[in-house]
Amino acid sequence: MCLSTVYKNRMAPETVAMKNVMKIDCRDGVVILTDLMDRTVAIEGQLESANLVEGYVIVKEAV
Amino acid sequence: MHIDHQHVAGGPEHEHPHVHEHTHAHTHDGVAHTHPHVHEHTHPHEHDHDHAHPHDCGGACGECASQCQHTPMEELTALMKYMAGHNAAHARELAELANQLEKIGNHTAYEQVMAAVSDFEKGNLRLTAVLSSLEVK
Repeated sequence: MCLSTVYKNRMAPETVAMKNVMKIDCRDGVVILTDLMDRTVAIEGQLESANLVEGYVIVKEAV
Repeated sequence: MHIDHQHVAGGPEHEHPHVHEHTHAHTHDGVAHTHPHVHEHTHPHEHDHDHAHPHDCGGACGECASQCQHTPMEELTALMKYMAGHNAAHARELAELANQLEKIGNHTAYEQVMAAVSDFEKGNLRLTAVLSSLEVK
């Protein structure tokens, strides 16, 4: 129930895809992130890991 | 707060490669006949969906040329509102945890956790007051 920061491929400041993410949808090889302000970011790839205690998610981008 | 945007596709109207099967007439050794063939084509088409749009602001809303729909204050207020609601939910969860401790006979732990819940709620009340003042402005 906490907001998360989503990273691409690895967790580093320069790989942040979106902060304050409240919803993640995975559809047809695309990971769609929605933040608290209802903005969306779509990343072609798949969910690699989600740490719901630490509040971070890593999305592996499709090559 | 816009860090990065990546399109699923280039926009409402964009192109994707598609594979289609066609039948073509061929002539082999002077005999004309047809074979099905699979070709990859690119067709422009439209999708009726919402999608993120590109921002070249490097992640800084202050440098964003009016592409962001929310002011920093709106974002902070939304975040505060979320936090206040989130904290209230956690306070309820802690109270439930305290009740579980009471049920298993640990009354001392129950009282301590309930005291923590009370402190939690006091802090949240302060946050809510700040939030109200932010929303008035």
